[in-house]
Formats: sequence, structure tokens, C-alpha cells
Amino acid sequence: MSASNTNGTPAGKALVIGIVGIALTLVGIAVSGGAKVAFSWLTAMTFWTGIGIGMLMLIMIHHIMDANWSTVIRRQFEHGISAFKWLGILFIPLVVASIMDPSVLWKYFDTSYDLGAIGGHGLVGEDVLYTKKSGMLNFNFFLGATVLSFVGWSCLANRFRRCSFTQDTDGDIIWTRKSRFWSAVGLPFTAVTLTLCVILWVKALDYHWFSTMYGVWFFANCIRAALAVGILIMCWLWTRGDYKGVLNTNHWYSIGMLSFAFTVFWAYVTFSQYFLIWNANVPEETFWYNLREMNNTTGEANQWKWVGMLILFGHFFFPFLGLISYPAKVSKKWMKFMATWILTIVFVDILYNVWPSKKVTTDMVESGHGFGLGVGDPLPFLAIHQLWTLTALIGIGGICAWAYFKSFPTAKLIPIRDPRIGEALTYHE
Amino acid sequence: MAAPSHGVIATFETASDIYYAAQKVRDAGFKCWDCITPCPVHGLDGAMGVRRSKVPHFSLIGGILGFTIGMSMIYFTGAVDYQLIVGGKPLFSPMFAFPVSYELTILLTAFFTIGGMFFLNGLPMHYHPVLKTEHIHRGLDDKFLIVIESRDPKYDSSATAALLESIGGKDVTQIEA
Repeated sequence: MSASNTNGTPAGKALVIGIVGIALTLVGIAVSGGAKVAFSWLTAMTFWTGIGIGMLMLIMIHHIMDANWSTVIRRQFEHGISAFKWLGILFIPLVVASIMDPSVLWKYFDTSYDLGAIGGHGLVGEDVLYTKKSGMLNFNFFLGATVLSFVGWSCLANRFRRCSFTQDTDGDIIWTRKSRFWSAVGLPFTAVTLTLCVILWVKALDYHWFSTMYGVWFFANCIRAALAVGILIMCWLWTRGDYKGVLNTNHWYSIGMLSFAFTVFWAYVTFSQYFLIWNANVPEETFWYNLREMNNTTGEANQWKWVGMLILFGHFFFPFLGLISYPAKVSKKWMKFMATWILTIVFVDILYNVWPSKKVTTDMVESGHGFGLGVGDPLPFLAIHQLWTLTALIGIGGICAWAYFKSFPTAKLIPIRDPRIGEALTYHE
Repeated sequence: MAAPSHGVIATFETASDIYYAAQKVRDAGFKCWDCITPCPVHGLDGAMGVRRSKVPHFSLIGGILGFTIGMSMIYFTGAVDYQLIVGGKPLFSPMFAFPVSYELTILLTAFFTIGGMFFLNGLPMHYHPVLKTEHIHRGLDDKFLIVIESRDPKYDSSATAALLESIGGKDVTQIEA
């Protein structure tokens, strides 16, 4: 297969976009330095892995509940989850960067790191909030959990894809039973691994912090983003004509309802996390939100406060009101906009969780690259280095899209011999 | 002059019979009429030209009311009527008012939804003229019924009965009011 043959196909285009995005991100290392680009890469990695996890979860929930209407869109998620193995490979640069410089992202890898450099006190190894958590927060556990997660998700993805695609040819009910069995295994596995991963990757960037809601928060974002991608795929295949005669109003209504339900779920979880910390007012917890509201050295509001406000109104109130009514949920044009919006704001939410942990160091202040901020203040939201977050988003996204488009022509549009397909096609309220 | 009539009733044998019959009654322009079926017939509401329920409007009003009552109640009690600093918190903050407002939103949404549903469908209704007909016994068992009410502006006792017969209705009978 030569490059000239694949350039015209969606898969070829996606691959080119992905490679260009990754190449531009590499340019970013030269421009902004590896330490900042590592945060950009982590943001995009978490976002795209989250979408994959969401799709995997939706497939497993579909099987375990023996659901009917979602049979018509399950196939698209099965194409989507083929990206896991590539996501696993794309995670390697972060591990390599952490081996080269253990404090580049996760300070807990480097027990000899002087927290004074980011406005703290003493070494990481002497920090009681580190030593009490060191059983989990160390490089070996990180690597083990990350490898286990990517291998596990890839294996589950392969399993569900094989079961579903094989059933298209032989129509054997055994594949449905197998999928159901692996869903029962995979759901608790994925629930635990997604929690571990988001704790180790994102939450532990500020390892002082405590939140028992963090895994659930990530899960809510995963599902919302996966549903949004699902809606966009439905819109695309509808416009292209593939889904004409397959989807009816009730399919749009149902996926809209799910999106609405998870909007409320996300809000419930995110608010609970904020509210409990606000109410208890314990410094080990509140500092995380303080960072995202003001610069500690001056006490003045920083840009992250407005990002937080954008998330409050854009991640909850706007989609909540935008998805609440029936006519909104069955309007393809509106749902396309809503899905794009939700996808964007999930990315902003991940960015809001990752980036403020990147703090101004003493070196930055001394060399005049501290954005005029004090030691320990978060880097601002609007800065040239966020360009690399966008290139990383496009780069990793291109690879994920390539995986989807590469898988897309290998199977039928819908699982035509699934035992629930008849019900799904004639689905009504 | 004949005794006042509630309307005219007809029996249909199968779900598809009543489905197509309902489409014809709808297209004839009737508004005050109903189908009585022993089991749910999917898509019948569409065939009858019934629009989506207005109950969600009640739900929305209930929800907004619940949220507003929650917020203003906590504002009034905490920041106006009996000011007391608890745990170093401000006298009022939407943070701690939120859980209660949220619960009240759900509670009043549920009440308004159920109340709105009963208000719109007119239940509970202890008597209905259709219950006097012979048809209703089979209508609750294995037959499908269409009732066109005399209060419909298009109603005309003989013409409407003829319409029901022409679209396949059996036992077309006037219902005593």
C-alpha cells in the first residue's frame, strides 16, 4: 500500500493530519521547551484516551444490559476503540521524558526534588503527604498500572471487535454471549484502571491533593465525550447517506437523553467534589482550587478562574438547557452543535485539571520567563505554549481518527446479525 | 328528536385495522375522538395525529419553582431572618444552598409532572359514557375501539357512523350520553 493510494481516503487524510500535528508538537519542544510540551501531550493523551475509555464503557454497558437501540451505533464505537494500541504507543514519550527528567511532569517520581523550586518546602522524599502515599505514587506503580491499563483496554477492544465482526458472517449467538461475559469482566476492570490512570496521570501532578470523586469525574467526562463523538459520527453517516433508513427519530432522542443524563451526572460529581472541599475548608484540599482561582503570591485572580467559570456554565448550564427539551434532542443540526460544544468543553475541563499544576519555578523567575508571576503560581491559561496543546490534540486525534477510518471499511455499517438488530431498527419510544 | 348522544363507537379486529382506521379519522379532521385498545399499539399516537404531551411544561415550571424556592428560602433564613455564622462560612452562598435547591428542584418537578399529567388527562374519572356500551367489554380484552364524540364540530350522527363503517368499523353504535 503506497502513500499515494491512501492519501485520498479519510484514513490517509487523518494519518497525515496526525503526523503533521505530532511534528508541530515536536517543533514546540524547540520553541517552548520539553517541560511545557510534556504537559500539552499529557492533556491531549488524557482527552483522547478518555474518549476511547468512554466508547469501551458504552459498548460494555450495551452488552451487559442487553440493550437494543444502541445496536445501530455500537459498531462505530467498535471502530473507535481500535485506537487503544496506538494510544498506548503514543503514551511512551511521556514515560521516556520522565525517565530522562523524573520531575518533568510528576514530581513524585523524584524524591530528591526540592519543592522550594515551586514555592513549597523541603524535598519530595521528606514530604509527609508524599511518604504516606508513596506505596502508590512511585514510578514502578505508575508504569505497571499504565501498561496494565493499555494492554487490558486493547485486549478488551480486540475481543469486542472480533466477537461483533465475526457475528456479521456466521450469525452465531455465542458471540453475543461472549461479549456479555467479557463486559462483566471488563466493566470492573475498566472502572478500576480508568480511576488509577487518571489519579496517576492527572490528579497526582499535585500529589498533595485528596479527592475521592476524581475517578468518577473522569468517567463522566469519558462518557460525555464518547457520546458526543457518537453523535458526530451519526451526523456524518446520516449526511453521507449511510444511516438513512437505519436511524429514526427515537435513536437521536435516545442518545440525546443519554447525553443529557451524563451532563447532570458530570455536574453532580464535579459539584460534589468542589462542595465538599469548599465546606470542609482543609488547606491540603483547598489549595487545588485556590491555584485555579488566584495567584498565591499576590492573591489576585488569575486566568484559570475564568476557565473555571467557563466550565461551570459551559460544561453544565449550557448543555443542560440545550439538551433539556425534546425538539432539541431530535434536531440533527442542533445536536451536531451540542456534541461539538461538549467535546470542546471536555477538553477544556481536562486542560483545567492538568495545566495549573505546571507552576512557575525559581529558575523561570530568575531567567525572566515567569510571565511576571511569583514562584509557585500556575502558568497562565493564555500563553504561546498552549499552542502545543492544540497541536498535540490534533496529532493524537489524527492518529485516533486514522485508527477509526482504517477499521471503518473492514466491517458492515451495523451488526446485521446481532440478535437485537431487528428491535434496534424498529426502535420506538 | 333522539336522546342526547355522547358519540359513536365502532369495533375493529386487529391493531393494524385500528391503526389505518385512526389515520383516516385523523385525516377526516376530527379532534374529539379516541382509540380504546386492550394493549399499547406502537405508533398509534402518530396515526391519530396526537401531538407530544404538554406535561414537560409543567415539569419545567415545577423545576424552576423548586430551585427558586430552595435558594430564596436559604437566603431568607440565613442571611435575612436569623443571621448566624456557621463554620466561618458566609451568611449566604449558592454553594451550601445548592444541595437543598437541587433536591427541591427534583421534588417539585416530580410533583408538577404527576399533577400536570392528572390535570391534562382528566384522571381519576369515575364515570364515562363509553362504559355503558357493550363494546367496552371486548375493548378491554381483544377488540379495538374508536369513539368519535358528538361535541366534535365535524360530528354528524349518521355521517360519522357511515365514515366509521366505511373504514372497516363493526358494530357501529350510538353511545348514550
